[in-house]
Amino acid sequence: MLEDTAANGAAASMRNGVKIYGEGTAIVRALDGVSADFARGRFTAIMGPSGSGKSTLLHTLAGLDNLTEGTVHIGDTELGSLKDRELTILRREKVGFIFQAFNLIPTLNAEENITLPLSIAGKDPDEAWFNEVVSAVGLEDRLDHRPAELSGGEQQRVAAARALVTRPDIVFADEPSGNLDSKAEAELLAFMRRAVDDFSQTIVMVTHDPIAASYADRIVFLDDGDIVDEMVDPTVDSILEKMKHLGE
Amino acid sequence: MLRAALRGVIVNKLRLVLTALAIVIGVAFVAASFIFTDTINARFETLITDISAGVDVYVRPIPPETGNDLVEFGSIPDEILAQVKAVPGVRVAEGAVAGYAQFVGADGDPVGGLGPPTLGFSWTTTSDLNPMTIAPDNGRAPTGPGEVVSDLGTAETAGFGLGDTVTILTLGPPEQFEVVGLANFGSEDNLAGATTAAFELEEARRLFDLEGSYVEISVAAEEGVDAETLAADIDAATGGEFDVKTTEAANADQLSEIGEALGFLNTALLAFAAVAVFVGAFIIANTFRIIVAQRTRELALLRAIGATGGQVTRLVVIEALVVAVIASVIGVFGGIALALLLAALMNAIGFNLPEGPLTIAPRTVVIAMTVGIVVTVVAALLPARKAAKIPPVAAMHEELARTGRKPLRRRAAAGAVVTTGGVGLLLFGLFGSVANPLLLVGIGALVTFLGISILAPLAARPVASTIGWPLPLLFNITGLLAKENTARQPRRTASTASALMIGVALVVFVAIFAASIKSTINESIFDNFRADLNASSTNFQIGISPTFAEQLAELDEFDTVSSLVFDTASLEEGGTDIIVVDPLLAEEVVNLDPSPGAFAALESADGVVVSSTEMEDNGWVVGDTIVMGFPKEPETQMEILGTFGNADFGQYILNRDFYNTVYDNPFDSLVLATVAPGVDISEARVAADAIAEPYANVQIQNKDELVAEIEGQIDALLQLIFALLFLAIVIAILGITNTLALSIIERTREIGLLRAVGMTRRQTRRMVRWEGVIIALFGAVMGTGIGLFLGWAVVLALADEGLGSFAIPWGQIAVLVVASGVAGVVASIYPARKASRMNVLDAIAYE
Repeated sequence: MLEDTAANGAAASMRNGVKIYGEGTAIVRALDGVSADFARGRFTAIMGPSGSGKSTLLHTLAGLDNLTEGTVHIGDTELGSLKDRELTILRREKVGFIFQAFNLIPTLNAEENITLPLSIAGKDPDEAWFNEVVSAVGLEDRLDHRPAELSGGEQQRVAAARALVTRPDIVFADEPSGNLDSKAEAELLAFMRRAVDDFSQTIVMVTHDPIAASYADRIVFLDDGDIVDEMVDPTVDSILEKMKHLGE
Repeated sequence: MLRAALRGVIVNKLRLVLTALAIVIGVAFVAASFIFTDTINARFETLITDISAGVDVYVRPIPPETGNDLVEFGSIPDEILAQVKAVPGVRVAEGAVAGYAQFVGADGDPVGGLGPPTLGFSWTTTSDLNPMTIAPDNGRAPTGPGEVVSDLGTAETAGFGLGDTVTILTLGPPEQFEVVGLANFGSEDNLAGATTAAFELEEARRLFDLEGSYVEISVAAEEGVDAETLAADIDAATGGEFDVKTTEAANADQLSEIGEALGFLNTALLAFAAVAVFVGAFIIANTFRIIVAQRTRELALLRAIGATGGQVTRLVVIEALVVAVIASVIGVFGGIALALLLAALMNAIGFNLPEGPLTIAPRTVVIAMTVGIVVTVVAALLPARKAAKIPPVAAMHEELARTGRKPLRRRAAAGAVVTTGGVGLLLFGLFGSVANPLLLVGIGALVTFLGISILAPLAARPVASTIGWPLPLLFNITGLLAKENTARQPRRTASTASALMIGVALVVFVAIFAASIKSTINESIFDNFRADLNASSTNFQIGISPTFAEQLAELDEFDTVSSLVFDTASLEEGGTDIIVVDPLLAEEVVNLDPSPGAFAALESADGVVVSSTEMEDNGWVVGDTIVMGFPKEPETQMEILGTFGNADFGQYILNRDFYNTVYDNPFDSLVLATVAPGVDISEARVAADAIAEPYANVQIQNKDELVAEIEGQIDALLQLIFALLFLAIVIAILGITNTLALSIIERTREIGLLRAVGMTRRQTRRMVRWEGVIIALFGAVMGTGIGLFLGWAVVLALADEGLGSFAIPWGQIAVLVVASGVAGVVASIYPARKASRMNVLDAIAYE
């Protein structure tokens, strides 16, 4: 299930990742020696019960949090050795994010939110790519609206467009459809699927929702801070089946 | 509920520290002003009681109602002493004279004279009655001509010692004296900063031109004789023509005079306290508004589980109360420190306060605490009432927290009404005729500030956008975010900026006022003086010895030498400034714009020339007779002999010869000289300087130097005021820090998101920094506007008082605005740091 080297062509990988929170008796091993690779151009879902460490896995993979032990690579870059500034620039250039909520800056309109990472880097957006991404998420008419004027689904699609606009090596999504109704959820996930199929984007998504996870190519199951199982080409039914057994 | 409130204080303690600081400063000023005045009064009381210990009754001339009280003593004829001594119950009595005597230091500069008086008097030989005692091993009393005794403090300051020969300036030409003794006043080595020179009686009489008279008789009673009774007996024996008082009554008079003299200091300190407290109130209101907004969910939860709106209000108010009490207590201690600092400052500039403990009266603590507590609670009341209006459902829905804003139209109306009211009060105080215009102007200004601050949120969005427009161009996204952040919370931006607005407005106002005075003085000196050189005294209270002008007039280098005296006289409706001239020569040295023939008439008849404005106001015509009061002639019928146009120095002109008959002041205020034709001014100046040299307190200046000197004096005062107003600006800057820090906490998620998608720490800091700059500039712009208006209104109102020109110091204002921007940067250092150190994960960790 695992390959030996970090530089194996995976978009991101973790080796023996351990993350410990707290001290003394309040100690929590959120990650307990996780090793995983996330291949390029693939849509991977991370599933697991609450407290299984799936969010911690995502945060440490994305360079938002550091491991207590072990290594993380994004492409060829090992994150543990990076200073804050280098890490920030890596996130800006190599990584895209879609969070569950508070994805957007309220004072900026949709277009400005989408191009935010480029603006921060002081770069001009690639016009053609920007248009392609915007039309893919269907937001052509909403670009001059502020987040408060957008629906929840539209807000998440803006966030998705922002995640793609820099052509990152990898996109991390943390329960991106968690707050959406089923129609908006389907729209968002269909777009994410297309991003992988049409643009060869790499996506890693944390979710507890089998329907959302069914859009992925592969599912990694986490429990008690370690990978306990995985599944390729899942369907809603096969996921539900698997989860039933995991609970046992 | 109380426990919840206390917990709120503890949880928010960091946020409240900055808020509390504003209260601390305000309370400290209030406390310091009372402690300081009380302390001075108490110390002087001790000193005065100490040095008058052996005296039971003082006999003094009845003080004239007008004139310079350091010169216009009046006098007691020699024979009165015998009459006093003859009164039964008098154990011993001795007369003394007093006058102007100023030491010249080893460096040739006069000693003192810039504040405390330069006193000369006769040595009292009866030791019981003498305020001075020769210090042990420090010589003896003066017994004849050419001898002087000074106090130890003055000797030390001036750098002379026992046996030295010193030059002393008095009425006549400077003279040399031998220091035969050095003395103490009671337990002090100095009399509150005054310089003192004691001479043998006849020597003193000669120096002060008081032959055959006294200015004071001190009396000690026989054992068992009541002072009050003795005073009444002496009064009866001397025909009621003198001011006979028991020591107790005389000391009380003296103390109340000292109190009055210090009153301005008390008023000034309280005014600054008012500014500090007022600015503080804005910051307190703002902090609690933000805290309430941040705790919406928590407060809504309390409502949801059954707390009433009133209870929620009380919760916030109790929190404010706790902060207020703690801050006020610290403030009182701060006030004690400030009072000590003030005392040290007074000593440093030459007003030697007597030694002693600080006087901290219970009422000082009560007033200071009350001010701190009331202001804080009142300021927190509005946010507290808003907290009560939070619907319980807001506990579940964050969006609901932001509802319930007052419609802008209502705010606009309220702001307009308050502003109009404030401006109205201000203008009425300035241009109307009211008993206490200063108070009205002050209240008007405060209300105007309040009104503008109500209106400010309406202007915040457009103004902040305008100020911030170059930012997105310069700094791209961080600039855009900074600009948008200030515009999105217009009320918060506005109320934060309002605190700075007040400080800036006051500084701009003071700067305009000072610039206008300077420009007026500049114009008036060049318009008024026709003389090439003018001589003035460096002693604030005493002019130039008359012999100086006489000596100067003998020089061939000068064509005309004429002196002016500025003094006061009383009229039916109160005191007025008078100008005393030599009518035949005045026109050549000074431009007073007299009506034709007015000065000729003044030369030949005892009368008065009155300014045209005064004539008009009173409906007088030339030839009318008015009643004027002078020190020696309380009610004199004066014929109006003519009018004059230039009332810059005063409204009434008297002839010098007549003046000398009704005043005791022989000193010239100004000696003006025109250089003879064909003589170089610089040559004439060298000659004049040679005459002036021994006088030490005389300085000769041309017009440019005179202007420069007056401007220098104004600048010195200006710096003092700026230093104090700087405190208000510091409080305002703390307010900006506070608001930004709280906004940062509120925007944790947003900042975390920006950091997650690639904003570096440096960019984050820059974003917050520019936010601070925009807020500060917004305050500076509003403040400059109000300051310009205040300055314009006050200068206009004082046009009648001779403030002729309105000048705007654009340079200073520009510096102030730039400095405000820099202050914004400083204010944002801490919040920017905090924002850049924020944990990225906090943004993402949802629930």
